[in-house]
Amino acid sequence: MPVSPIVGLRQEDVGMTWVLVAVGAVVLVVVFGVYNSLVGKKNAVEYAFASIDAILKKRFDLIPNLVATVKQYMQHERGTLESITALRAKAMSGRLSSDEATAMDGQFSRALRGIMVAVEAYPELKASENFQQLQRTLNEVEEQLSAARRAFNAAVTDFNNAVEMFPTNLMAGLMGYRRRQLFEIPETERQTPNVGNLFNA
Amino acid sequence: MQSDADFRAHLQAAVLPVLEPLEARRKGIVRKLTAGSLAIGGASLGLGGWLAGRAEAGAPLLVALVVGALLIAGLVALLTHGFVQDFKNAVIAPIVAFVDPTLQYAPRGCIPQWEFQRSGLFKQGIDRYRGEDLVTGTLDKTAIRFSELHAEYKTTSTDSKGRRRTQWHTIFRGLFFIADFNKHFSGQTVVLPDAAQRFLGRLGQALQNMNMARDQLVKLEDPEFEKEFVVYGTDQVEARYILSTSLMRRILEFKRKMRVSIHVAFVDSSIFLAIGTGRNLFEPRLFRTLLDEKLLSEFLNDVRMATGIVEDLNLNTRVWTKE
Repeated sequence: MPVSPIVGLRQEDVGMTWVLVAVGAVVLVVVFGVYNSLVGKKNAVEYAFASIDAILKKRFDLIPNLVATVKQYMQHERGTLESITALRAKAMSGRLSSDEATAMDGQFSRALRGIMVAVEAYPELKASENFQQLQRTLNEVEEQLSAARRAFNAAVTDFNNAVEMFPTNLMAGLMGYRRRQLFEIPETERQTPNVGNLFNA
Repeated sequence: MQSDADFRAHLQAAVLPVLEPLEARRKGIVRKLTAGSLAIGGASLGLGGWLAGRAEAGAPLLVALVVGALLIAGLVALLTHGFVQDFKNAVIAPIVAFVDPTLQYAPRGCIPQWEFQRSGLFKQGIDRYRGEDLVTGTLDKTAIRFSELHAEYKTTSTDSKGRRRTQWHTIFRGLFFIADFNKHFSGQTVVLPDAAQRFLGRLGQALQNMNMARDQLVKLEDPEFEKEFVVYGTDQVEARYILSTSLMRRILEFKRKMRVSIHVAFVDSSIFLAIGTGRNLFEPRLFRTLLDEKLLSEFLNDVRMATGIVEDLNLNTRVWTKE
């Protein structure tokens, strides 16, 4: 008769025990897997948000340069330039929460666009090499920013799917994970720009 | 782009004068080939008959057929060798120059193997690498080069009788195109035809996520693009920086226009496209006349298909820091 590793049990009980152990092991592996994948998805969201932050900072860093280049030409737009400098100072002053950062990003985009529209009135400035280089850099940062937002939204969608779909939603509930917000474009920016209004202003 | 009338005028001036002597050569080759094939055919039939008379030979007719076919193939290569080169220099070169005067054409040149491998599109080790019809040049602000390529690997198996058999398998055959990309980037992003997701849906995507041979899976937001392609990249943000929503559309439209499989890679600030054309481009034909405008416009369309990529993918738009 084979020696049972679990002392004091009859043969069929030993068999049953092994089945239970096997089932328990499988359940554990699945639970670990789900747990790890949820943590991985949460971290992917945070990583993606950090990369938006990094590019936003890169954009803020361009501002002193832009203001210096533009100032000598645009005597009449002092107000716009001062407001964008102030926004930058506010953004650089401390860590912003993700909601604040979103709001700030919207204001900043508007101010920047205001400057670019105003530049149209200064052909000399538009033609200056300094400004053209700056405009290329700004275009690039905007493109990178849009890429970072898309990466963030992809990571959030992945995370939200895991939080809401069966069976990962059970684990997510235990871990206290909630749906996250996508990085949305503010309502004012979503409207199709009215070219006529631009000229009336 | 130049009109059909311009092309016809260009053909009259640059191509027709050289095409007529080539056509005469082609007829001569066909004559010699016919005579040679008849002789070889007769000889191999005789050989077959002689072998059949001897009992120990296995399959006499088969042996004779194989020998005959090999001899005829050798004859074709021998007769057409110089002719193909001369045809390419005389006909393809002016057609390439017509598309854009900055383009250079080298019939025997090809994209080197290291550049093909640098794209990272095909992971299989290469045992045989051939190519021809290299075109290089600069269209407006974008430097381009492309050639036909055929990359293969081999497998050797030994059957029960101890005979070794070597088989060649194609890794890629078609047009390989490299251009300077209009944005700076440092990582690697590849766009491959998607089979798994089309047939398996979300499960397919989960499997792609576990592909160890590739970098991270990049899930993009355009559902039609996602159905046709799968994207892997070293950096999620950079992959999206390169594959803007408009570039995804353009790649999709290009693929639909071409109706062939397309692989795209973005490495070292360059874009690599592997287009599986499924036919040998820029070759003269032997058994039909060369004096055919349709044949010549086909060559023109093949060149334009490649140079048109610059336009199709908007590579001349240089609004970012890369000039």
